[in-house]
Amino acid sequence: MRERNVMLVHYVSGIGILVFGAVHLFTVFFTKPLGETIWETTMLFEGHQFAVLEVYRNALLATSLWFLLLFTTIHALNGLRVIITELFPVPVVRTASKYVLFALGVFLMVYGTRTIIIAHMIG
Amino acid sequence: MRTVRLTVYRFDPTSDERPRYASYEVPYRSGMTVLDSLLYVKEKLDHTLAIRYSCRMGICGSCGMTVNGLPRLACYTQVKEVGWRIKVEPLKNHPLVRDLVTDFTDFFRKYKSMRPWLIRTDAEEQENPTKQYTQSDAELERYIQFSYCISCGLCYAACPVVTALPEFPGPQALASLYRFLADTRDHGRRERLRIVDEAVGLWRCHFAGSCSQVCPKGVDPALAIQLLRREAMRG
Repeated sequence: MRERNVMLVHYVSGIGILVFGAVHLFTVFFTKPLGETIWETTMLFEGHQFAVLEVYRNALLATSLWFLLLFTTIHALNGLRVIITELFPVPVVRTASKYVLFALGVFLMVYGTRTIIIAHMIG
Repeated sequence: MRTVRLTVYRFDPTSDERPRYASYEVPYRSGMTVLDSLLYVKEKLDHTLAIRYSCRMGICGSCGMTVNGLPRLACYTQVKEVGWRIKVEPLKNHPLVRDLVTDFTDFFRKYKSMRPWLIRTDAEEQENPTKQYTQSDAELERYIQFSYCISCGLCYAACPVVTALPEFPGPQALASLYRFLADTRDHGRRERLRIVDEAVGLWRCHFAGSCSQVCPKGVDPALAIQLLRREAMRG
């Protein structure tokens, strides 16, 4: 993949984090119609063992969380790749880090997706 | 008579164990440049001082050095401008040859790798031209400021990315690439973008902007890199 495309994805994912992060915060903190329930069940844990799962019950919110996870993973891991590229001018380290970071990204996405799906089903 | 106190970096890797600073008192005269004061030292006080210079008028770009912490052309820098105590050191990011002389081999290798000439695909037309190749003012405006570069290496010495990442092409090379990319007579767009669209290429610039600050010719390499990124995004 050409660096141009990688950086394009990096920039888009940065904007994605802003958008879906804002959606996430807005949902949790400000949305009153949904919020009364969501706020209390997510933030007030008294008597609710799986209170946070309430957020995942809404398919739209669960999907937006998945996108937040996706964009954060891409942006963070590519950022790490850039840092490694700049700090370690050794081709072997760079190539190895690319594969390690890719594997880490796949793991984070699989584990995160699994968590969101399970939480959605339980919630 | 007023004097200028010059503190000059001295180091000969072939004979010295470690660098040292030598101080010289140079009589000031009106209009004196840092290069004039160094030439006074070389002629009258210490002929072993190694410096590189040629035109003495800010055209050749040979006399780049660090003057009071900033990369400058010695011939372009008035003593009055920098004060009566002047510390002169070699340019950073360039390997040292001796005293104030640095090695530009790597710098010019990177410059050359950008193919700083017009790339044409019409060989026959070039051999037997059938018309004039005119440009409008607007077309000229796109690249003219970047063609003022004299390859003095000051921007390269000021670039923090080159310091951290020696493989980085540097502002001069990238700006020169943009200069030809933006030229309507050039046919090498795809080839040029391929050269810099690498992991350690165009995208590693952090826009510190120091390259544009130190350029003695008013070129803005940071702007060229921004514009180059826009072109790279367009593909």
